Amino acid sequence: MSHSLNRRSMRRTHRVYLWLAVAALLLFASTSVQATPAYARQTGNACADCHAGAYGPALTPYGMRFKLNGYTDTDGNGFKIPVAVQLIGTHSVPARGQNTTQLTEADIYVAGRISDNIGGYVKIETDNDGQDHFSTKLSNVDLRFVAKDLKLGSKEATFGVSVNNSPGFEDAVSDLPDSTLLGPPGVTGTLLNPSSPDALANRVVGATAYGLYDSDWYGEIGSYTSLPQSTQSNLGYALSGDPGRLSDTGFFRFAYMKDLKKQFFSAGIVALTAKRQLPRSGPADDLTDLGYDVTYQYIGNRENIVQASFVDILEQRRYGSLPPSPFPGITAQTHGAVHDRTFTLTYTFLQTYGLTFSHLVSTGTRDIVRYQPYGVPDTTSNLLTLYWAPFGKDDSFTTIANLKLAATWFHFSRFNGSSTNIFGVGPGLPVTNAHDLNAFSLTASLAF
Amino acid sequence: MTKLLWVPFLRCVAAVGLYLGAASMSPFALAGDASAGSDVFKTECSECHSVKEGRNKKGPSLFGIVGRNAGTAPNYKYSDALLQAKWVWTTDKLHSYLSQPAKQANPGTKMKYDGLTDSKQLDDLISYLGTIH
Repeated sequence: MSHSLNRRSMRRTHRVYLWLAVAALLLFASTSVQATPAYARQTGNACADCHAGAYGPALTPYGMRFKLNGYTDTDGNGFKIPVAVQLIGTHSVPARGQNTTQLTEADIYVAGRISDNIGGYVKIETDNDGQDHFSTKLSNVDLRFVAKDLKLGSKEATFGVSVNNSPGFEDAVSDLPDSTLLGPPGVTGTLLNPSSPDALANRVVGATAYGLYDSDWYGEIGSYTSLPQSTQSNLGYALSGDPGRLSDTGFFRFAYMKDLKKQFFSAGIVALTAKRQLPRSGPADDLTDLGYDVTYQYIGNRENIVQASFVDILEQRRYGSLPPSPFPGITAQTHGAVHDRTFTLTYTFLQTYGLTFSHLVSTGTRDIVRYQPYGVPDTTSNLLTLYWAPFGKDDSFTTIANLKLAATWFHFSRFNGSSTNIFGVGPGLPVTNAHDLNAFSLTASLAF
Repeated sequence: MTKLLWVPFLRCVAAVGLYLGAASMSPFALAGDASAGSDVFKTECSECHSVKEGRNKKGPSLFGIVGRNAGTAPNYKYSDALLQAKWVWTTDKLHSYLSQPAKQANPGTKMKYDGLTDSKQLDDLISYLGTIH
């Protein structure tokens, strides 16, 4: 019995380090760029035209239109090499563990237009594993065919097809978790959340057809399938994060967007349904994500910009199997739900100085067998980022490259259903509290 | 005493000067507030146009736009519609062009703009553009 307890506590200790790694990844994701200077060179635009903070990630309405137009807009002045580079160095101060200062990420973007109708975004990411060993993987991909400037009745319309590897990354409003690369971390999570364990992000491939009518009404429908494990491995991904085998997958998105020049707001719904076998040889779970999102931006004359978004996704689950129960007479639930909510507020001054606050909550229905030891997977965390991005504006030293210095605090107030002893270890064993997962980082990002 | 006589005379000269100056300027340029027009530019135009010389975005640079012949910004690939438009961007022409949808003002143009219907903002904007040279 004591041997078994020790083994369980060892496993939980390993999980602590796993979640420290997840927290670190979220820190990097929150400061990483999603646009590339290649687009700035292609269009003649400054970075700040598409991103309020001149380094991303949140898009301005103009940035949304650029994305909807399949990354094909141009200044018409010849061919531009569609390549950009990003380097990120991080000084990381975790609440538990050693401080590190490292080159944490080096990325190559192949991003731009091929023709008036075809464009794309591909990110090839090289990450430091913390021991100065670097591994390269194919990160986000979004390849588009678009038909622009069409007339539907008396109104303008745009239609397109996106081939991508993360449901939600291609979204026009770009507030869904796979677009912001920010969703609630936790011991479980929705399919649409890239911070969920065994997330779909970058390990699936799919196509969606989308349309924009009268500049305001956006609709999208598509389907995805998971990449074979061998392909995931070839693309640089460890098999431990395999999202499993997906079938009968459907994606749907609808949003109303209103650009009032000085202000912007949107309201939308999103749905993703799939049968998932995890492990691949096992029975399938029926999963249905249904969510809504609202956003608001005050843009004004670009000197003071406020951007707010709220994304609320509920996943209904019908489990294909019941895990073995350690509790006599108690079995796991056959149905369950997981609920992910993300609220983000960003203030940007002079398109240069910014403050972003995110509140991330993940909750789930009670299931003492699946979510040990407390029976609920609930996790609450907050992210606060203060940054300075001096370039990438019309009047700055350079409009087509940028630097971002950011200080980020990542704070957990609850994890795995508890704020204290989150892995429920027995007396005499080292206890991990939720705030032991906290981390602070200083990040320098350079894109050119 | 001499000083006292000079004051009303100078006032008359100043008044006449102001009148003559106003008569020689475009009424739109006179009506607008260039400082407020800078903000209008940022809101309405800056995503597609730069005011820096030689800096083209999706639209051409607006450096020196007032008084420029249409379709002549260097290194910008204009639509045939604007190349064939043989007009000069006077303040009057800008006022007329920008107060309506671009596709209506110049059918065939690449420019996507619904027009600025707020006459005060339009006057401010054109005044601001007049200072960019």
